[in-house]
Amino acid sequence: MTTTIPARPPFDPELAAALAVINENVPSAFTAEMLPALREGMAALRATDEELSLGGAFVVEERMVPGPEGAPEISLVIARPAAVKTPVGVLYNIHGGGMVLGHNRGQELFDLLGWARELELAVVSVDYRLAPEHPHPAPVEDCYAGLVWVVENAAELGIDPERVVIAGSSAGGGLAASTVLLARDRGGPALAGQMLLCPMIDDRNDTPSAHQMVGVGIWDQAANELGWTSLLGDSRGGPDVSPYAAAARATDLSGLPPAFLDVGSAETFRDEVVTYASRLWQAGGQAELHVWPGGFHGFDLLASHAALSQAAKAQRLPWLRRLLGS
Amino acid sequence: MKDLVGRLSALDPDAGAAVKVIAYFDQLVEGRSGLEPIVRGAAVLSGCTARLVDDERHVRVRVDPEGHALDEFGPPEPEWLSAPLVPGGLPVLWLERPGPAAPVDAMVLERAISAARGVLDRTRGRASGDPALVEVVLDASAEEPARARAARRLGLPDTARVLALDGGSVRIEAAGAVPERGRVGVGPLVPVLELPSSWDAARTALRFAADGTEQDPGPRVVRADELGGLAVLAESVGPGTKPVADVLALERARSAAPWVLGTLVTFASSPSLRTAATALVVHHSTLQDRIAHVEQLLGWSVRDPLGRLRLQLALALRRLHLHP
Repeated sequence: MTTTIPARPPFDPELAAALAVINENVPSAFTAEMLPALREGMAALRATDEELSLGGAFVVEERMVPGPEGAPEISLVIARPAAVKTPVGVLYNIHGGGMVLGHNRGQELFDLLGWARELELAVVSVDYRLAPEHPHPAPVEDCYAGLVWVVENAAELGIDPERVVIAGSSAGGGLAASTVLLARDRGGPALAGQMLLCPMIDDRNDTPSAHQMVGVGIWDQAANELGWTSLLGDSRGGPDVSPYAAAARATDLSGLPPAFLDVGSAETFRDEVVTYASRLWQAGGQAELHVWPGGFHGFDLLASHAALSQAAKAQRLPWLRRLLGS
Repeated sequence: MKDLVGRLSALDPDAGAAVKVIAYFDQLVEGRSGLEPIVRGAAVLSGCTARLVDDERHVRVRVDPEGHALDEFGPPEPEWLSAPLVPGGLPVLWLERPGPAAPVDAMVLERAISAARGVLDRTRGRASGDPALVEVVLDASAEEPARARAARRLGLPDTARVLALDGGSVRIEAAGAVPERGRVGVGPLVPVLELPSSWDAARTALRFAADGTEQDPGPRVVRADELGGLAVLAESVGPGTKPVADVLALERARSAAPWVLGTLVTFASSPSLRTAATALVVHHSTLQDRIAHVEQLLGWSVRDPLGRLRLQLALALRRLHLHP
């Protein structure tokens, strides 16, 4: 048994500089004891309706809608383009936060609203219950229930149920991939596309990239283990994990909507995301995969100014434009 | 990043910011980043648009606080926060807001300029030195002891020469390579106390240097030593001087086809039609036809010795009009 540190792809120099600042506040690993403080910190960063309206371009409301059977209602933040009277497509957003953090008014919404403004789409952001207080299947069932409600209430919302794209980053990307699988298997809403940004999809947490990035960057193997164990308890990594918890566990990836996937080369999730994209192609699906050299987990959100972040973000709107044909 | 440095250091006011700024630029230096990431770092960490402009080395970078590179460069405002590349020199790095500088701004400027200096030295050669000292060395009206002292402080050897560059900037050097970009006039190598004359000659030579574009073909680097009697010609063409008929004829010929001017410049500077054809990568009979065609446009033969001189003079005069 050797204990040498594995070789790693270097961080992009500009991202390394950002990381030096970020790691002052966000360590690469975190522990369960840090959750309350982190949640409190993120709660302070809730975008208001007014901010989300982008100066009146969107009409924003928050609706409480029915959750899964026997579960509490869930909150949807709904932003609809103010000037468009015809039914519009929807970006259905699932926030990130390792299954244990975050809310549906996060900063990533401003990216989605930017694309939505270009393409005349609505944005709906779901607030699902978080682990460990609410383990699997609570988070994914909330995401699914919100999606079903949006599609069933398309007429009232003024949206086009044929043009719903599900999107999420990190844990949100994982939940998006699983929600898509649920929708396929239950004969639920037909989705136009899935945008999986550095998605967290494999609870086994055992790929070469997971081992490579131990102790560096953002969301290393230990943090990932905490996230998955919060969601799955002792069953994490075992033989019986549902694909609706960890999409990489799905044995059948056929019949899924076109996917956009991106990931950094210097992050835990690199290999599971690349594998997922390959499996989508092998199953006859359509997928666009970007692997950004020297990117750490969530680099485009945490260091949005960097040249690599700008390049990564610039790929998304064109994909949506091609997908939705406007 | 704005969120990170702003909001997070709000939780942790003093300790945070300085450490973060230092860590950020140290990492950029360690990763051998280019200039744009450095200027972007300055913009993002200070929360205000930043620019680095060093005309002498053809550097112009401007980045907004979200990290987007900008192409527009208005003149810098005098009250903006700025830093020179060398102590006492002209500013090259600006944060585009008026002072007084917050502690974090001062730290950003200091760290960014230090990182930028490293990149410039590494990639574009050492700066020619403090502009104020350069000014003294080139000023014929300054006292000789003052000029000698300035030359020593600039680290100049006994003899040196002046390079006149596009945009009025200047470089003094012992010898060595001329810049790889832009027009250059090279003054003669002289004892340092005679550098003002090298500067004059370099500026004259610069007027004969071409952009190297289709509009202005020809040599980009011109040596004053090689100008000979042409230097006298430069004095007779100023900003208001009317072009002579042969220059107007050149302009007319130029507008006939895009290849005309480049062909004439190459032809005029080649020992034979065949070498000109090789340089232009055309067959010599093609060139022969083209020259005959151009002669019709010009109204004189460029193949006999007198006509060739006339062409040389017209080309030289045209360049003097172009660079008054």
